[in-house]
Amino acid sequence: MHTIRHIRSTWLGAGLGAGLLAALLTTGAGSAETLPAAQGEVILSVSGAISTTNGDGVLALDADLLATLPQHAFTTATIWTEGTATYSGVLLRDLLAAAGATGATVKLTALNDYQIAMPAADAATDGPLLAYLADGQPMSIRDKGPVWLIYPFDDVAAYRTEQTYARSIWQLNRIEITD
Amino acid sequence: MRWLRSAMVVLIVLAFVAIVVLAAQLRGELRLLQEEPVDSLHWNVTQLELDVVRLEAAATLAQAVPMADLADLRKRFDLFYSRADTVTKGTMFLRLGLSETVTPLKSRMQAFLDDTAALIDGDEAALRAALPEVEDALGALRLDLRAAVIQVIDVNAALQDARRAKLSDVVQMIALASVALIALLLGLLGMVVTLNRQAGRRAREVQRITSRLAATVGTSLDAVVVAGMDGRVIEFNAAAETIFGYARAEAIGQPLANLIIPPHHRAAHDAGMERMKTTGVRHVVDAGRIRITAMRKSGEEFPVELSIASNDSPEGMIFIAYLRDISDARRAEAALVAARDEAQAAERTKTSFIAVMSHEMRTPLNGVIGALEVLGRTPLEPKQERFLTLARTSAKQLLRHVNDVLDISRVDAGHAGLLDDRFDMPALVATLVDPLRPVAGQKNNRIDVRLLGDFPPLQGDPFRIGQILQNFISNAIKFTEDGSITVEAEVQRMNGSQVEVELRVTDTGIGIAEPDQDRIFEDFVMVDPSYGRSVGGTGLGLAISRRLARAMGGEVGVESAEGEGSCFWLRLPLRSAADPTVVAVSDATPHQSQASPALDVLVVEDNETNRIVLEEMLHHLGHRVTLAVDGGDGVEKARARRFDVILMDLSMPLMDGWTAATAIRLLGASQHSRILAVTAHARPDQTDRLEEAGLDGWLTKPLSTASLTEALTRDHAAGASPATDHPLETFLDAERLDDLRRIANQAGLHRILQKFRTDIERTLATIDVDGETASPADLAAVAHAGVGAAAVVGASRLSRELASLEAACLVGDATAMKAHRAGLPAIWLGTLAALDTEIGAASVNGSDGTATGRG
Repeated sequence: MHTIRHIRSTWLGAGLGAGLLAALLTTGAGSAETLPAAQGEVILSVSGAISTTNGDGVLALDADLLATLPQHAFTTATIWTEGTATYSGVLLRDLLAAAGATGATVKLTALNDYQIAMPAADAATDGPLLAYLADGQPMSIRDKGPVWLIYPFDDVAAYRTEQTYARSIWQLNRIEITD
Repeated sequence: MRWLRSAMVVLIVLAFVAIVVLAAQLRGELRLLQEEPVDSLHWNVTQLELDVVRLEAAATLAQAVPMADLADLRKRFDLFYSRADTVTKGTMFLRLGLSETVTPLKSRMQAFLDDTAALIDGDEAALRAALPEVEDALGALRLDLRAAVIQVIDVNAALQDARRAKLSDVVQMIALASVALIALLLGLLGMVVTLNRQAGRRAREVQRITSRLAATVGTSLDAVVVAGMDGRVIEFNAAAETIFGYARAEAIGQPLANLIIPPHHRAAHDAGMERMKTTGVRHVVDAGRIRITAMRKSGEEFPVELSIASNDSPEGMIFIAYLRDISDARRAEAALVAARDEAQAAERTKTSFIAVMSHEMRTPLNGVIGALEVLGRTPLEPKQERFLTLARTSAKQLLRHVNDVLDISRVDAGHAGLLDDRFDMPALVATLVDPLRPVAGQKNNRIDVRLLGDFPPLQGDPFRIGQILQNFISNAIKFTEDGSITVEAEVQRMNGSQVEVELRVTDTGIGIAEPDQDRIFEDFVMVDPSYGRSVGGTGLGLAISRRLARAMGGEVGVESAEGEGSCFWLRLPLRSAADPTVVAVSDATPHQSQASPALDVLVVEDNETNRIVLEEMLHHLGHRVTLAVDGGDGVEKARARRFDVILMDLSMPLMDGWTAATAIRLLGASQHSRILAVTAHARPDQTDRLEEAGLDGWLTKPLSTASLTEALTRDHAAGASPATDHPLETFLDAERLDDLRRIANQAGLHRILQKFRTDIERTLATIDVDGETASPADLAAVAHAGVGAAAVVGASRLSRELASLEAACLVGDATAMKAHRAGLPAIWLGTLAALDTEIGAASVNGSDGTATGRG
């Protein structure tokens, strides 16, 4: 409960920017849109069946651009880390929406070319979070950064499954939407 | 069955508990598998190795191209760093239980990372310079990592195997427990089905028995009434409805006592129920059949035969009464008793007719034989002598016939008059056989006597035994010629003083054909009538023998083969005499011409012929004779002077012999003389009356010289012992008392005598008080009741006196009535005293003190 409230407040805190982007996203659905190009180091690039891009068919996102998307956070432990941490970032669902993704499969790839694919429907749930901050700090590669697709394992027992663990891809840097 | 069921239930519970426990365990295992999955060990360790290899490749590449960017090397390092960190800090090994095993791996990686991280994070030149060392370190790390990883995988494999085995075991055990549970449940189900079927069968059986029982009770001809402990009716069957007149619905729930028990029996019934409730003592219940009086709805009382059974029921003790209306049976019984009484009365009439006839025949016969005796002592011509012999033989034969018939009627009337004397069997046999030897010799027969066993003095009727034996021997002589006759006597001791005597008379005569052997013991049967007539006989000898033997509790019989001979036997139960010193020898055989002193004899006889005959006989025997023509004359003469012997005819007109004898005893010179009755009424049952009248003995007419001699001699020798000294014989009927003692115990006897005493005292009081005023008929009725009561206990004197009073009342003889009434109190006192002596003072003399009535 505590975690959820915390998420809500975070969500409300990001109210204005999110409102703007949401309006933009909803009105832009169905037709190609563009976003400003990333100014900083690109930490995540989205490609494939998307309608919103900021490059050559790619939506390349740096930390600042990610910060303009609706923010979400939760605190959880994982089987790969010691203790708990509060992870903040953008829900995969929100990112896909922002990107105007229309494909059926979401393919996610890590720096070390570890790759997983999941049905878009699974991606549209409340769970998967594209975290780029742990306890408010950017995550280095050594700390499974820059982006870690993480689930609220502590809050939702249903996520404590092998498949979810397999989908919890860290050092994520590419997302491709395919049909 | 019950323990089996319990065992199964226990097993089922155990199996169930086992399944629950195992399921919980399984669930735990499954949750471990399901909810807390771990990262793939193989993936991670492979990635770890792969990351090292890639890092090593990056290092090699960086060395090969001196000016190349080191960013890729640094990224590879970071990726390995991250991987190592994940492996080191993640929960995977902890979850897999490999924390210990993985420690060397962790420390090896940590050592490398600690050494290398500073170089990677440092400036490029230093890093580039250290590249060869880094590459070497990486090579070493890769080898070590591989070895460590293989070990981890080995251990993990073993662990997973163990875990799977455990899981498999649990699943197997659950399966096993489930199978067992199912089997047990099926068994239980089978048992339930079986029990259910059994219960059904039992229910049907109970139903069947119940309906059968209901049908049985319902159709019973006897009334069946069931009552509870509270005495209320529970069941009342159809027969009960018919017998008692109540409808079933009417009877159910009512107190049994009010329904079927006559009011005057209810108190006893209630007391019985109460006694049973409190003490459990039962007199009627489960006591078999009893007869009581019951009552119908109409109030009519009737006799029933009843048996009551008790039974424990769920509602407590119940009583089942079976009742049978025996009114009809009672009526039939009464009719039967009446018929029997009539038949007995007819029989008595016949017997008394025969007795009277015998008297009528024997009185003239007495005259004939006596006259012939007298005639025989006068000088006769040879021809006259021959006719005289013929006449004598015929008269004696006729007398025998009369005696035989009389014997039969006596025994049949129960008046066999058996003696209970001491006697000596060998002497008896000898005295019987000896006189017959000459007769046997005439037909060239020899008589042998054989005594088998040691004969004690015996107690019994030697006269009757002798009569039977004489009959056997006479028959043997009759039917045997030129042969031998063996008389055998055998004794066998039984318990105590009981002995069994068998007398056998075996001859070598003509024998008896098989079909005739039973017949000869019947009345008037002669196998060869022509022969029988020629030897003289009525055909009653064996019939009398059999009657006498049976009267004595014995039996007679014959074994014979035609042409070879016969063996007649007599078997008798007897007692050995208590005192062996006094042995009376039977006088059954006459002793001819016995010398005896001359006596003064008074003959009291109304019949002139008899008087003359007696006179002649007595003269012939050398006695002095005085004659009296009737009772009065006799008394007068007896009082006038003393006679040694008085021969008294009993049947005389005016004053009879009884009265005369009593009168003589009262006073006069012959008060203490021997008085002998002479009578044709050969009724030994009157013996006591003889003694009571003061008579010392009796002679049966017609008299023979021999019997007369015997009687006179014996009486004379017997000395002075007045028979009247015996109160028992004066007042009581010993036989009757013996009967009473046989049929009742001491207490019963006392009760009977008490009742008798009460009855008689009331009778006597009534006679005493109302004697003057009451009508003769009423007085006769009172006396009659007394006669019966007195006869029952054998108070014979009293009974006779009351009978005389009754007779006097009926004919209206006032004088006699007065005389008999006056005599009653003394006789009553005597009777009481006699009973006192015989039975014991406690029984009769309660309050009156000692009665003095000894005569």
